[in-house]
Amino acid sequence: MIKSDKTGLVFFPAFDWAITPTHPERQERLLYTRDQIFEEGLMDLPRIREYKPRLATFKDICRTHFCVPGVKDQVTHAHLIAAGGALVIADALMAGEIRNGFALVRPPGHHAMRVVHGNRGFCSINNEAVMVDYLRKKYGLKKIAIIDTDVHHGDGTQDIFYHDPDILVISFHQDGRTLYPGSGFTNEAGGPTAYGRTLNVPLPPGTTDEGIHYVLEKLILPVLDDFKPELVVNSAGQDNHFTDPLANMKVTAQGYARLNEKLKPDIAVLEGGYAIETALPYVNTGIILAMAGMDYSNVVEPDYSPEKFILSREKKEWIEKVVAELTAVWERRDAIDIEVLRAKSEYFQRQKTIFYDTDGINEYQTEKFRLCPECGGYLAISSQAYHYNGIQHNILALSIPFNGCHECREEAYAEYETGIGRKIYDYVYFQDRVSDTYRGYSREKDREWEE
Amino acid sequence: MYCTGYSKKCGTSLLKTVKVNTIEGDNVFIGIDVGGTYTDAVLTDGKSILRKHKTLTGHDNLLPSLLEALDAMIEGQDISLIQRVVLSTTLITNIIAERKYPPVALILVPGPGLNHGEYKYNTLTHIVSGAIDYRGREAVPVGRGEVSRAGEDIVKKGFKHVAVVGKFSGRNNAHEVLIKQILESEKPGLTVEMGHTVSGQLNFPRRIATTLLTCATREAFSGFVKSVIKSLAERGLRAPAFMLKADGGTLPLETALKRPVETIFSGPAASTLGALSLSPKGQTSVVVDIGGTTTDLALILSGEPLLAARGAKVEEFLTHVKSFAVKSIPLGGDSTVVVREGQIRILPERQGPAFCMGGKAPTLTDALVYLRKAEIGDREKAIEIMEKLAGETGRNSRDTAGEIVTMACQTIVSAIEQMFINWEQEPAYRIWEIMQKTKIRPNNIVGIGGAAGGIIPDVARQMNCTAIIPEHAEVANALGAAVAQPTVTISLRVDTERGRFTVAEDGSTGAVPQGRLFREEDAIKLARERLFHLAEELKIKDYVKKTEVVHCEVFNMVREWTTTGKIYDISIQTPRDILFYLGQEETVDD
Ligand SMILES: [Zn+2]
Ligand SMILES: [Zn+2]
Ligand SMILES: [Zn+2]
Repeated sequence: MIKSDKTGLVFFPAFDWAITPTHPERQERLLYTRDQIFEEGLMDLPRIREYKPRLATFKDICRTHFCVPGVKDQVTHAHLIAAGGALVIADALMAGEIRNGFALVRPPGHHAMRVVHGNRGFCSINNEAVMVDYLRKKYGLKKIAIIDTDVHHGDGTQDIFYHDPDILVISFHQDGRTLYPGSGFTNEAGGPTAYGRTLNVPLPPGTTDEGIHYVLEKLILPVLDDFKPELVVNSAGQDNHFTDPLANMKVTAQGYARLNEKLKPDIAVLEGGYAIETALPYVNTGIILAMAGMDYSNVVEPDYSPEKFILSREKKEWIEKVVAELTAVWERRDAIDIEVLRAKSEYFQRQKTIFYDTDGINEYQTEKFRLCPECGGYLAISSQAYHYNGIQHNILALSIPFNGCHECREEAYAEYETGIGRKIYDYVYFQDRVSDTYRGYSREKDREWEE
Repeated sequence: MYCTGYSKKCGTSLLKTVKVNTIEGDNVFIGIDVGGTYTDAVLTDGKSILRKHKTLTGHDNLLPSLLEALDAMIEGQDISLIQRVVLSTTLITNIIAERKYPPVALILVPGPGLNHGEYKYNTLTHIVSGAIDYRGREAVPVGRGEVSRAGEDIVKKGFKHVAVVGKFSGRNNAHEVLIKQILESEKPGLTVEMGHTVSGQLNFPRRIATTLLTCATREAFSGFVKSVIKSLAERGLRAPAFMLKADGGTLPLETALKRPVETIFSGPAASTLGALSLSPKGQTSVVVDIGGTTTDLALILSGEPLLAARGAKVEEFLTHVKSFAVKSIPLGGDSTVVVREGQIRILPERQGPAFCMGGKAPTLTDALVYLRKAEIGDREKAIEIMEKLAGETGRNSRDTAGEIVTMACQTIVSAIEQMFINWEQEPAYRIWEIMQKTKIRPNNIVGIGGAAGGIIPDVARQMNCTAIIPEHAEVANALGAAVAQPTVTISLRVDTERGRFTVAEDGSTGAVPQGRLFREEDAIKLARERLFHLAEELKIKDYVKKTEVVHCEVFNMVREWTTTGKIYDISIQTPRDILFYLGQEETVDD
């Protein structure tokens, strides 16, 4: 790679897109952030290079997601541009034009799972996951780490990479017993072939800069040292901020900036953060300066005073305990003997129920995962979605990993064809990431399509 | 025959006024461009060019060149028919480039954000405490004591000029106003310029630079403008006189005094507007102005010259000055040609005039003259130097000259392609902007400058466009000045929760009714009122007939799930059109 000293920036505030006019994910969300970063003149800094976002293609979406019924039913232009913004940064990084980059885009994505029946947690398309899969396909990257610094558990990202040993997903967040989406506990640590490659750090409400920096230094940085990813992605939510209306944490703009300085993500992608006046203008300015290697010490919120932000002994102990527990998980990451599991069954199965808060959908999923000795193993997902308005979708989706072996592809394809023949499925999907072809079948139209 | 600056037939003095016509009772217009090298002038009745004049600019004092051009236009002319005079000069460009301005000290109020050490403007800079936020709310009051001490120091160090600029001063100018009051009462000798009156547009560092330059150039500019006004009066000219701005608009001389920096880079604006007037209305064209050492490219998209997405760079300063998007490439008629390892190369430099004009080295012009694509200088000399080059390339002289011209064309074609790509890649922050910016390619290539006739037809052919080499192209700049019109733009921000509005262009501010009573229609109406108000202040109200809403964005302000107000971001302007089109009288279409 050519050495560049620049930080790439895609700023896409989607001033003409909202979930509903009063929803937190509305036009106004990045207005004051725009005002702040423009007034600061950040785009003129010699170390900053601004890029225009592009539209992600339907194929880019299908490489990661199964959109039901199809991509066009789940995405708007805004979603394609937000994901495309992350892809622009990825391309610039791989071309050596930039040293690191920040896709400051909305709508967000980290609650979007592999199967997309609708919008959940303000997310439809997982921007980071689409970008990671794009980097693997286009540039052949293998090991990538995603660090989710949003206050909510990055359950969508977790779901997408749960069985993938090459993608490390670490999320720290406010404890799921006190916050949406209610998941992200330490025992959710990855499938049998990717154990420890998902790490969840539930934190007590009221966690301060000190608390998240403890997690960063004692857990995240050492794990990254061991994992040795080719690329680190920050799933950069900003709702741990002390003024965020949807959560209860006490992180400051300084805390977020310093986190990026230490984590040194190659790419950051904006996620949540709904204190649109009191947090976002400052946190985003801080992150941009930190990524550009510039001094951010003067980026302080008007009502900031350090004495307000002392971490209690009790909370500190909680965090220490969680970090110790996860360190142990990480150390055991290669302890599972797949052959022992395979001796019992060639397939690993799990059931999930998923609730889509924004769109009011209940989904019931069965994941069947082949414990393949050759490749990562293919995944068969059968999913029934019950929409609040009575619509039901029953689908079968087959996913081949990037390194999928011949046997897995043959077997998955056979299952796809069998699925088409079975009347219970309204839609059947085949995601072949080896050949980069994505097919779907609609029973109603009795027709196959390809993206 | 017309005299062109390029043609040898006029002799080297270029000092010839051509009278084409005498005027019979029609209104006429004068445009004068005092450029870096040439001063051009035209007299036109809006249908054709009645007189034109081209002379070398006297560098140390621009006024004599300007007056000579003016006199050439009005000599024997019924001056009561002159409707207006528009001037374009390099005065501000020269003052800034040569640093012929008094030192200006800075008092800045940056508040939180970028490290204060980033504000480096190579002059005495005092940073005082105070902060305004993005909505114009005071977060930290001004440190009055610090302001007094700064004033003390500034006077002690011999400064007479101070620029006072605060972050977000466009949203709330109270801090700048207060600092000016303190300084003027405590240090009466100081001249104080406030940032919000220069530009309230977002971008604090650019506002600092623009305010600094405004403060620095005001005196010299005012001296020049006063002598121009006096000279016009001496000649009995009572027609209104205007200055051309970098964005192609014009301001009356007296009001240009308020915004001297906006008259910088009026030359490229003049040549683009001139080309616009000489090409078919409403089409997409590239204006290629081939000079001696550089070629300037400008885009006209569906009849409108493209403005640069960001303010102009003036020497080392990034400013808020709006200007046309002009791309300069280091290629011109005098570019030196060399052969290295058998390969022809056009160097991005000038070693002197063309060989056929008495120079020492072969140039692009020599190749054009050899190929009979230009008639200038001594063709025998051009043949001689092409034959010498052919000896080095190992091909015959015709092929050698041909290849030089082909290379020049390719350089221009790829620069044009790149300019369109850059335009497509300009950041966009709205879905519709991203969806809308599709591939657009030009209809016409309009060539200006002596070498244009020899190169532009090939460039146009490669790009599948029509080549236009307009007659009178040698005075395109003056024509551009003549056809330029006053323009006004207003960027209004209304915050109904706070009950305030601010205007970025003139820093004006005021109250609006709070809450839901103030609707989008009211906001647009207010924007129109502010536009007329500004037009009146700029003394161009008579020119404001129509207004157009460039963009209008409404943001619902929601606090704890209820709508507490709205923010309107509205931008309206007068239509950006020129006074008249002369059309192209001559189309080279081969
Ligand atoms: Zn998280
Ligand atoms: Zn969140
Ligand atoms: Zn396999």
